[in-house]
Amino acid sequence: MKKTTRITEPKHMEFVELKNKYQLLKDLMDFIPDVIYFKDVKGKFIMVNQAHAVGLGVKPEALVGKTDFDLFSRDRAIKMIEDDANVMSTGKPIIDKVERATRTDGVDNYVSTTKIPRYDHKGKVIGLIGITRDITRRMQFERLRKDKNSIQKKLESLEEVSAMKSEFISAVSHELRTPLAVIKQLVTIVFNEVVGRVNYKQKGALQKTLDNVERLKKIIDDLLDVSRIERNTLKLHYSLVDVVDLLKDSASFFTQLAAEKNISLKYSYPKEPVNVFIDVDRIRQVISNLISNAIKFTMDGGMIKVEVKILEAKVRIGVIDTGIGISNADLPSIFNKFIQVSKLAGTDNKGVGLGLSISKKLVERHKGEIWVESKVGVGSRFYFTLLRFYTLDMLGKSLRDRVGKLIKSGVSMHFVSLLILNCNEFRKRMRIGSKPLFKDLHAILDSVLKNVKSKDIDKRAMSVISPQAGKFSIILPEVSNRQAANISRLLKYKIKQYFASNKVQDIFITVGSLSYSQKVFSHDDGLSPSRFSIKEIYIGSEMRRFKRMSFKTNIKLFLPEEKVELSESVDVSIGGVCLVIKRLLKTDSQLKLSFVFPENKEVIIVAKVRVAWIRKIDLLFGEDAGKYKVGLEFINLKNEYKKIISRRLAKTT
Amino acid sequence: MIKKRILLIEDEVDMVYALTLHLEAMHYEVLSATDGQIGLDMARKEKPDLIILDLMLPKIDGYRVCRMLKFDEKYKKIPIIMFTARVQEHDKKLGQEVGADAYITKPFDAQVLLNKISALLKEH
Repeated sequence: MKKTTRITEPKHMEFVELKNKYQLLKDLMDFIPDVIYFKDVKGKFIMVNQAHAVGLGVKPEALVGKTDFDLFSRDRAIKMIEDDANVMSTGKPIIDKVERATRTDGVDNYVSTTKIPRYDHKGKVIGLIGITRDITRRMQFERLRKDKNSIQKKLESLEEVSAMKSEFISAVSHELRTPLAVIKQLVTIVFNEVVGRVNYKQKGALQKTLDNVERLKKIIDDLLDVSRIERNTLKLHYSLVDVVDLLKDSASFFTQLAAEKNISLKYSYPKEPVNVFIDVDRIRQVISNLISNAIKFTMDGGMIKVEVKILEAKVRIGVIDTGIGISNADLPSIFNKFIQVSKLAGTDNKGVGLGLSISKKLVERHKGEIWVESKVGVGSRFYFTLLRFYTLDMLGKSLRDRVGKLIKSGVSMHFVSLLILNCNEFRKRMRIGSKPLFKDLHAILDSVLKNVKSKDIDKRAMSVISPQAGKFSIILPEVSNRQAANISRLLKYKIKQYFASNKVQDIFITVGSLSYSQKVFSHDDGLSPSRFSIKEIYIGSEMRRFKRMSFKTNIKLFLPEEKVELSESVDVSIGGVCLVIKRLLKTDSQLKLSFVFPENKEVIIVAKVRVAWIRKIDLLFGEDAGKYKVGLEFINLKNEYKKIISRRLAKTT
Repeated sequence: MIKKRILLIEDEVDMVYALTLHLEAMHYEVLSATDGQIGLDMARKEKPDLIILDLMLPKIDGYRVCRMLKFDEKYKKIPIIMFTARVQEHDKKLGQEVGADAYITKPFDAQVLLNKISALLKEH
C-alpha cells in the first residue's frame, strides 16, 4: 500500500501541474487578441484560438479540420497556402509579414503574419504555428506620422519661400525708389519751367506723368509695408492723439476729393475727446485707405459717412458708403493680399489691392478689430476699432521742469503713473479727508520704493501725488523696465490693500508706464530703460472702465426670425459681454440674450444688447475659421441684473 | 549778393543733375561729390553754407560723414540735411543722433527740400 501511495502521489502532482500548464496556455490562447492557429502539413487547422474563431464568427471547434479555402476567398487562400508550403518545405519561418486584408465585414485592414514550422521529435515537419495580428491602427498612426512630417516639411518650405519673397519685394522696392525719385525731380523741374517755357498741352502731359509717379510711389510704399509686416520689421511709434483731431486733419482734403465726384462726404464726431495711443501715421494711413476706397467705389451723387462711435473700452470708426458694394463671394477675401474689389465697369480701379490687407495688419497691431458689411448695389460699411486710453495731464509744471533738467543732463528715466478711478467717491465712503489720504498714500509710495532694492533707486526719483484726483506720478531715473514694472505692480497692489482695509472693495486702478516707443508696453526685455524727450511725454493707460470676468456657461442669443444661437464661453462686465459665435451679426443691430452664472443657475440674466464690434477669427494662412468674436454692449440693463453682475464681479480678483 | 553755396553729396548722378537744376534755379551755387570721402574732403576744404547728404554712399556712409563734421568744432555749424530712400523711423532717429539738422526721404517734394534749405540758411 505504501508503495502505491508513493507512486500515485507524484503522478497526481504531475497531473495537477500539467493541468495548470494547460490552463495557462488555454488562457493565453483565449484571451490574446492575436489570431493563433496550428495547421497540419495538409493545411488543415488542428486547433485555433478564440480570437480566430470570433473573427470569423464561429466557435473554435468548428474550424478544426477546415482549410483556408473554406474560410477565405480563393485568391487569398492560394496565397496563404503558398506561404504555408514555403515555410514547411524550407523550414524558414515568415516573421511579421505585413499584408493588406479585407475583413469578412468588408472593412479594409492591415495584418501582420508570422508562420513558424512545427517539427516532431525526429525533426520532421508536421505542420506550422501561425500568428496573425491586426495592425490597422499602427499603420494608420504611421501614415499620420508620415503625413504630418510631409506637411511640416511643406510648411517649412512655404515659410522659407514666403520669407524669400518678402525679402525680394523689399529689395526690389528699395531699388525702384531711387530712379523714381530722379524721374519725379526731373519732371517737376520741367513742369515748373525751371529749364524753359512749357506750353499748355505739355503741362497737361507732365501733370499726368506726375500723377502716375505718385501712383507708382504709393504702390511701392504699399509693397514695402507688406514686406515689413510679413518680416515683422514694421515698427510702430506711438503717441497720444484725439482720434477726432486725426479725422479732422484730412477731412477737408477728402471732402473736396468726394465733391469732385459729386459725392457728399459727411463726418459725425462725438462731443468728447477720444484719446487713443497709436502710431498716428499708420492709423492715418488706414483712415485714408478706407475713405479713398469709399470714394473710389461710390458713383456720382452717392453718399459717404464717416462716424466715430465711443464704445465701452474702444472707439469705433466707421466708413459707410452707398457705393457699388462687395459681393458675398468677394467678402471673405477682401482683407487678403492682392485682392482688388470688384472689377465693375465704370469704376476706375487703381492700386494693387494691398491697401485693405495692410490696413487690417495695422489695426491688428494696434489691438483693434477691422471688419466689413456690404451688399451689392447698396453699399459697404467698413469699421475698425482702437483701444481708448485714459489721459490726464499727469505732469504738473514743477515736475515737468525737473524732468526737463534730467533729460538735458542725459539721464534716462521711467515714468510710472497711477490713476485711482472714482477716488473722490472712495474718499467719501472712507470718510477720510484729502490730507490724511495724501499722507497715507505717500507712506505707501515710500514703503514701495524702499521695498524695491533701495540701492537701485536713484536719489533723484520723485513723485507727485494728487489724492483729490487719485493721480500718482512717479519719475524713476535710471531704472530698467522690469524695475519700473515691479514698482508699479507693487504700488497698485498696496493701494488696493489699503482701500480694502478701509472696506472699499471695488477699487479700480489703471497703471500707465511711459514711453513713446513700443518697448515699454511690450514688457519684453526689462533691460534698457528707453529714452524719451520732454515733448513726447504722455500718459496713457488702456481704457478699461469696467472690471470683467470670463467663465463658461450657456449663453443664448435670440436672433431675428426666432433663431437662437448658443455660445459657451463669455466675458462679462457691467457694460456688456464678449463671446465667440458662428454667426456673423450686423454692426449696431440689437438683439436679446440670456445667460446664467454657473454658481447661481436660478437667476437668468436677460438683456438687450447692441453689436459693438466684430472680429473674424482666422486660422493659419488667413483661413476662415467660420467663427466670430463679438462685443455686445448692454442697452438699459435692468438694475437687479446690474447688481447681480457687479456682485459677481466683485468676487473676482 | 553773394550766392550761398550748397554741397550735394549723393552717389546717384542723375539725382545730382536734377537737384542741381532745382538749386541753381533758386540761385544757389552747387558743389557736388559722389562718394563720402570726396564729400568729406570737399566739405572741409570749401566750407559750404549747407550740405545735402545722402545716407547710402560709397566709401564713407552718410552717418559717418555727418558725425565727423558735426563733432568737429570747425565744421559743426554747417547745417546738414540728411537725404535717403529709407523711410524707417529708426534711420531718422539715427540721423538725428549724429547731429543732422533735417531729414528728407526720397522720393521727396522739391518744394519741401527748398523750404528746408532756406529755413536752415536763415537760421545760421
